[in-house]
Amino acid sequence: MRLWLIILASGAVTFLTRASFTVFGGDVAVPAVVERSLRYVAPAAFAAISVPLLLGGDGFADFGSDIPRIIAGATAAAIVVWKKNVPAMLVVGMGIFWLLR
Amino acid sequence: MHADRNHLVADLSFQRDAFYDGVRTLFPLSIPGIPFGFVIGVLIADEELLPSLTSWSASFLIFAGSSQLAALTLLADSASAFIVISTVFLINSRHLMYSAAIRDRYGHYSKPTRWLLAYLLVDQQFAVVETDPALDSPTDRYRLWHFLGGGSWLWVMWQATTGLGVLLGGVIKEEWGLSFAVPLLFIGLLILSVKNRPGILAAAVGGTVAVATRNFPQGSGLLLAITLGVAAGGIADTRAEVRT
Repeated sequence: MRLWLIILASGAVTFLTRASFTVFGGDVAVPAVVERSLRYVAPAAFAAISVPLLLGGDGFADFGSDIPRIIAGATAAAIVVWKKNVPAMLVVGMGIFWLLR
Repeated sequence: MHADRNHLVADLSFQRDAFYDGVRTLFPLSIPGIPFGFVIGVLIADEELLPSLTSWSASFLIFAGSSQLAALTLLADSASAFIVISTVFLINSRHLMYSAAIRDRYGHYSKPTRWLLAYLLVDQQFAVVETDPALDSPTDRYRLWHFLGGGSWLWVMWQATTGLGVLLGGVIKEEWGLSFAVPLLFIGLLILSVKNRPGILAAAVGGTVAVATRNFPQGSGLLLAITLGVAAGGIADTRAEVRT
């Protein structure tokens, strides 16, 4: 029940962001500072989520067990920078991870 | 054109070619979502503490992959409801920008239609609406059904790929380490999202603070990290603007 409510509320806040201006906004202008900041939600959020996960449980590189993760992660990152292709990155990154660990 | 928009009897009935044009346009953009959805599904099935059907229902209740994945990670880590909902809101607050940007073109349909369009306003749809020259000067009817065609396609694909992941999740063993796909996916999204120097700063601050606060209770470190990262990016962006 608790999980349902959390997901339902998360869905509601997500819908509100999408409906904000088209459904409820009327003619309200977006303040410039808000618009500027919103551009950086994606990089900030994705880095905050991925970096601790990549470094494993304790957040610090543990030489030995974390080396495969770091090599696979770095190679995958290079592929995205180079090819802008997320599926290819996933295949190569997971492949290297499986080979090394 | 404008007078037309306010006309009460404007014909918005189903337009097949517009609908299929929407599907065709969004099709290539839906491909990266396939492994993404599948991985989320497998992780849902793997997470023994959370009932799979409930977790999967986020695919249509939230319908935003990166926030679903973040919520799942937080919930598996027994984060508080407040932290999960706030993090989802923060990650999805980029839609505020999308919603504002499409208001001129999509803000005049009937209220129920706008609710539906809002529900389907995902990243890929926004990218097409913003950049596809075919949408510059069509009729309101074409534009509406193009959006609904592409949106329906993305919706069906998302429910199907996450659902398939849940169904096959039982077969895929945890020792295979598929969960490593999660940081990989987020790194991919991260790199695609960094477009300038303030973006690099936002990512650096977000990542560093997240590592430094990883032991904060109930996932509050993540929320703090995202907030500080966004603030750093916004401030750097404003300064860069002032200088030029």
